[in-house]
Amino acid sequence: MVQVIAGSVISSLTLTVVENIHRMKMMKGVKVNRRSFLKMLGWGGAGTALAGCDMPTTVTLEEGKEEVVSYLSPEEYVIPGVGVWYASTCTQCDAGCGLHGRVREGRALKLEGNPDSPLNNGKSCMMGQSGVQTHYNPDRVTSPMMRKGNSLQAVSWDEAMAELGKQVSSVSGDRFAFVSGSLSGHQSVLTSELLSKVGSKNHFAYETINTSIWQAVSKDLLGDAMPVIRYDKAGVILSFGADFLATWMSPVHNAGEYAKFRQGERGVLVQVEPKMTLTGGNADLWVPAAPGTEGVLALGIANIIVSRGWNKVDVPASVKTELAQYDLNKVEKITGIQGSKIKRIASLLSERGPALVLAGESTVGQAKGYEAASAVMLLNIIMGSVGTTIEPSVSFPENALAAKQGNTSSLKAFAQGLSDSKYDVVFFYNSNPIYSAPEALGVESGLDKVKFKVALTMFPDETALKADLVLPLNSAIEDWGTHVAAYQGGSATMSLQQPLMEPLYKETKGFGDIMIALLSKLDEGYKQFPDYYAYLRTSVKNMPAELTGGALASDESFWNGLLQKGVLKTTGVTGSLTATLAVAKVGTPTDHLDQTSLTLIPSARLGLWDGRHANIPWLQEAPDQISKVVWDSWAEMHPHTAAEMNLKNGDIVKIESKSGSIETQVAITKAIHRGAISVPMGQGHKEYGRYAKQTGANSLSILDPVFDHKTGELATHATQVKVSKTRKNQILIKMGGSDVQMGRSFVRTVSADQLRRTEGGA
Amino acid sequence: MSLSNILDNLSRFRQDAESERYGHHDYEHRFGMAIDLDICIGCNACSTACYAENNLPVVGKDYFEQGQAMHWMRIERYWDDEELEHPERGASFIPMMCQQCGAATCEPVCPVAATYHTPDGLNAQVYNRCIGSRYCSNNCPFRVRYFNFWSFYESSWPEPLNQQLNPDLSVRDKGVMEKCTFCIQRIRVAKDSAAREERNMIDGDVITACAQACPTNAIVFGDTMDPTSQVSLAWKKHEVKRGPYTHKEAKSDEEIRGYRVFDELNVDPSVMYLERVRDSEV
Repeated sequence: MVQVIAGSVISSLTLTVVENIHRMKMMKGVKVNRRSFLKMLGWGGAGTALAGCDMPTTVTLEEGKEEVVSYLSPEEYVIPGVGVWYASTCTQCDAGCGLHGRVREGRALKLEGNPDSPLNNGKSCMMGQSGVQTHYNPDRVTSPMMRKGNSLQAVSWDEAMAELGKQVSSVSGDRFAFVSGSLSGHQSVLTSELLSKVGSKNHFAYETINTSIWQAVSKDLLGDAMPVIRYDKAGVILSFGADFLATWMSPVHNAGEYAKFRQGERGVLVQVEPKMTLTGGNADLWVPAAPGTEGVLALGIANIIVSRGWNKVDVPASVKTELAQYDLNKVEKITGIQGSKIKRIASLLSERGPALVLAGESTVGQAKGYEAASAVMLLNIIMGSVGTTIEPSVSFPENALAAKQGNTSSLKAFAQGLSDSKYDVVFFYNSNPIYSAPEALGVESGLDKVKFKVALTMFPDETALKADLVLPLNSAIEDWGTHVAAYQGGSATMSLQQPLMEPLYKETKGFGDIMIALLSKLDEGYKQFPDYYAYLRTSVKNMPAELTGGALASDESFWNGLLQKGVLKTTGVTGSLTATLAVAKVGTPTDHLDQTSLTLIPSARLGLWDGRHANIPWLQEAPDQISKVVWDSWAEMHPHTAAEMNLKNGDIVKIESKSGSIETQVAITKAIHRGAISVPMGQGHKEYGRYAKQTGANSLSILDPVFDHKTGELATHATQVKVSKTRKNQILIKMGGSDVQMGRSFVRTVSADQLRRTEGGA
Repeated sequence: MSLSNILDNLSRFRQDAESERYGHHDYEHRFGMAIDLDICIGCNACSTACYAENNLPVVGKDYFEQGQAMHWMRIERYWDDEELEHPERGASFIPMMCQQCGAATCEPVCPVAATYHTPDGLNAQVYNRCIGSRYCSNNCPFRVRYFNFWSFYESSWPEPLNQQLNPDLSVRDKGVMEKCTFCIQRIRVAKDSAAREERNMIDGDVITACAQACPTNAIVFGDTMDPTSQVSLAWKKHEVKRGPYTHKEAKSDEEIRGYRVFDELNVDPSVMYLERVRDSEV
């Protein structure tokens, strides 16, 4: 393994390195004056001194011989003090951005976006930047652990794998389950192989943050589940809760496209949602509709459009009649949005087109979320967006490698299986349902009925500590992998993940290595692969020409090129769009008419994500983009609502749903609807290392088990809570002293009119 | 020594401020930025990239509360000061870091000349020279200087987190002031490379960690003395000049978006911002 990594490292030099070597060579012929000579000496000296600390300086006095490898004869291509950049893939969320990682003296130091990746085009987000802190995290699991009696005890890999092999080969197929996050590439292939060898169909890919309902609606109404969204082509974007700049689909890619949308002829962004997301914070108009009424608002807007004849696509009379019941007065009453504003949004869609209308979590996270998203999609159809700002999907031509996306309906199915005592052996990989599943689903107690639980994990999370066998994984920076992102924005790319450095710990293994070892026990055919690298290498060698763009995959240079670029761009399979016009029967929540309860919004954050990044100190210390609170949970409430309950910033409130309660501090903000209370997800871990443990409250835990009736997705925005004051309070810790500029004009704002006059555009 | 130093600094500062040269006499480069607030989305990518590049310590909840966070690059968020029920125009985000002022108010007050102006147009901070008087941060209108009230090494980088530390720059200890350096370690590497190749530095040789990460390319970094650099072109287009305060009236059109924060203090910041845009018809 070690040799292999070294080999790949050498062959994967990026241009930067080659240039640097070139420069070093050139130095010989360059006239060096005293000053620059001293400078060089200084750099080299620093590098050598550092290198002495942690590079292969092996002194084995015990064996009676000393072997000191100094940097006077460094490894080939390793230049002390010069960082080398290698291409890899980010695994902090499932967007699959390409990375360049800087390695110096054998340590990975810094991650940047890979400019060759058509997804992120060299850019990265705060979670991607923090990949190094996941890797170097002080709370990693460093050896296999097996439950003996009541506690987990360190065991050898041999013992762990023997037990694992025994369990897996003796379990009957239907009683085996595999729970993971989104999976793609060869990791997905191996997982499917394992399941088929065991004879099980129980793969539960589970992600709290997903776009399943959007995809289901796209599939049903446009005939294409993952159409390409052309933000850059849009003149006006109307987003119903889709936080596309932070948590929706592929945030870094979207942000790049958003920049194009804002430049040139500056597009207009209108965001409808009950709690301001990062995308809402960037909107020209932010519209806080009453929670759960976005579907009605969408149909109200559609009604105005068709009744004024602004629709770009012919609308049958039957649809018009159905829409007519969403007259302005009714919609105004239900959504709480002024009629004049609704009319303005409708006229914007018609005047500032091409239009693009999106539906995200606050809209679809309802018992009738599918209908709400369908109502939103109707706007796209009648405004002629289908084919202009919404283009046919482009998918990766090899289905086996395509993304198996996580969702929450699989969580529901898994929880049901647990309560029916259906499983004897369960694997958890990159998945922590004890933390992130609502307590009402009974995952934690249901797991007691499972005889043998295996956690493949890097960290001692809640689920791992309940497991019978914990297998410590290599970090993304130490492991091989291939990734095919579910959303690729029009490209068809496979991104390669290669180790940037040798594993920090001797006793951790790659996910693929474990799968290969396990498969070898079930199928002789896998014995030819000593490890995952060998498997991956062979798989890539055997890639058909339509995947490699005509290049011969068995050629060594193809593999080297892949290592160097990090991405394999190929010709995708283009889907087709056929719009179906139908008026969805949207729901109107009646619960929130009850004045004493508020709608709980467990909003997702770019940063802690679904809680998986709560153990990263940089992300804990990074202020939330909108509230600017750090290191804790908080409950966002409108000043009006807070005043009614006599609450001020930092007061601890008890938030009680039918399914449980949490306590956290109040953060008063106007960026939320009066009828809502928002406690962002991600905090409140009971375990998961020093940074995550006992920090804040877990808002996902108290969600009621309400599911979208059509897709079975968890309705994350459909929980009503009672909020009561406790006698406790604390200081609300946030960045910055003042929320307003007090006339100092740090950020100056001008009108779009002015921009058009000075910088052109329509 | 220290008093005469202060006086020397002050008189030089005043002299320069009144002359055409305005600032340092013999610049080789003047690194600067252009930040478009209309496409900055406030996502924190730049700030986290800065933590990763510059060995910034994580201070923890309690010290954060006491205002001791070390975020060299921070995203400030403001709400419109209006009596509306909701912030209808979204939030105002601004990435705020050391503005590397040409006539920096932090420099002349340093009793030991630990902060000084480099020929690259940067306000350098010499950690070894700093005695922690904190006069400089007291005098900085942007509040972008951060003092190490504690030694954060043990608490911020428990093993093996310390292995991530960038060896190109130091970890600062208790009693030292620090701030954004425009990634001076990257500038150094680029300058050395250019010198080895016996050429001048060209635009794109250096990119700061924040600009490299920014998903919307809102941050443009470069040498404002190189007339062909992206940043120079942006400054030119938006009619912001080096030197004293550029009045809006002095521009060919008052509505041109470029401005420098606290320009009216005549500190000659090296960062130009472009005004945030909101569609008021919407």
